[in-house]
Amino acid sequence: MGKYLFFKGCTIPARLPNIEKLALEILPEIGIEIQEEENFSCCPDPVQLQGANQYFWLTCAARNLALAEEKGMNILTLCNGCLNTLSIANDKLKKSVELKAAINNVLKEIGKEYKGTVEVKHIMQVIKDDVGYDNLKGKIKKPLNGLRVASHPGCHLLMPDEIIKYDDPTDPEEYDKFVVALGAIAEDYVTKIDCCGVALNLVGDKSANNKCIATKLLDIKNNTSANIISTGCPFCFNQFDMGQIQAAREYTELKDAKIPVLYAIELLGLAMGKSLDEIGYQSHRIKPQIKVWEVA
Amino acid sequence: MEIIKIKYIKDTIIKQSEEIERCFKCSACSIFCPVTLNVSKYNIENAFISQLFGEEELLALKDVWMCSACEKCILVCPQDAEPAEVFNNLKRLSYQKGQAPVGVYAVTKQILNTGLAYDISAKINADRKKIELKELSTNESVSKELKIIAEKTGLKMEGE
Repeated sequence: MGKYLFFKGCTIPARLPNIEKLALEILPEIGIEIQEEENFSCCPDPVQLQGANQYFWLTCAARNLALAEEKGMNILTLCNGCLNTLSIANDKLKKSVELKAAINNVLKEIGKEYKGTVEVKHIMQVIKDDVGYDNLKGKIKKPLNGLRVASHPGCHLLMPDEIIKYDDPTDPEEYDKFVVALGAIAEDYVTKIDCCGVALNLVGDKSANNKCIATKLLDIKNNTSANIISTGCPFCFNQFDMGQIQAAREYTELKDAKIPVLYAIELLGLAMGKSLDEIGYQSHRIKPQIKVWEVA
Repeated sequence: MEIIKIKYIKDTIIKQSEEIERCFKCSACSIFCPVTLNVSKYNIENAFISQLFGEEELLALKDVWMCSACEKCILVCPQDAEPAEVFNNLKRLSYQKGQAPVGVYAVTKQILNTGLAYDISAKINADRKKIELKELSTNESVSKELKIIAEKTGLKMEGE
């Protein structure tokens, strides 16, 4: 397994720094070596910037890819949005000679060139493909026995599946294999594959956003025995954590027994023997004490 | 004259996403679109795609930003019409016409000025410092490169 260039993105360093910190600490423990890079920019985000100007969006993504090419390293990201943008850009540019030439014509102005020699991977893909679930099981120090997890892989890790190749977007199970490898129990629910609704938050439609969040939370509450939700996407995380508080103001069924959300890295951290404090749980908006993972 | 202009815009979008001409309005995208399911005024098929063929004016160019680019519509479309690509083009048109939400222009500006999509606030850096992470700062050379890319790719900062 080679060393990866760590693409932190924006949301994790600026909103969820505990996840950045935790990744730097625990990824080497499961055999994933990462190197930091100062000159990456925003990926840029696939929801807003891809729409605003696809040419700008592709060129910025190609600039980031070119930085990794200069280092001769593949990219690892913890964010579904970054994965989506960088993977789609990489695929488009590898497939089209004309597009590559047009983008390189712009990159030339800043002394960069996109060649198409690196791959981009999300941490969940690296765990699946490089580490392997069986191998991961052997590295776990404190199995999360009894913890019931409703996973939400997130749209941009699942689609476009022919490019990202992580899982079946209509019936995903890879994230659940990760949950099971950590010793926890994976719960299934119908709205698992539905978008968290982050764009509704971006356009500021509060009531639509609340409905979108509440639909999933009520599905999890009513149809599973999950103690927590887990995701590997910072946007899904914010929607379910912060968004749950907002949704609960409108949907009274959500008021009692709020469901905490743990990032994939945080769940891994607990299984690697970290305490709730050490994974940064105190920075969450929803933080009920759930004893199940604290059993020594 | 106005109608000619609108038709021109519509033709451009259809030309950019030729696959959409395969659409036979079966509604599969509306049934699976997670936004259509939750927002009564939003309907991926009626509000946007049908308009490309039937209406004189493209309405709701603001609402198009509710699309999360989750690509469920691409997944379920039996005609491989790729509605999500049409949405990218509608977003672009909306952005150029100055009809995108203010947040979209703000985030674009933010990225060009700092390299990051978020404002680098004292609060963020205090949080980072507390857990012994390096403070975030504007990377001037990155910002300079992004501004060159913006200029060369014709990225507009505000609507016309």
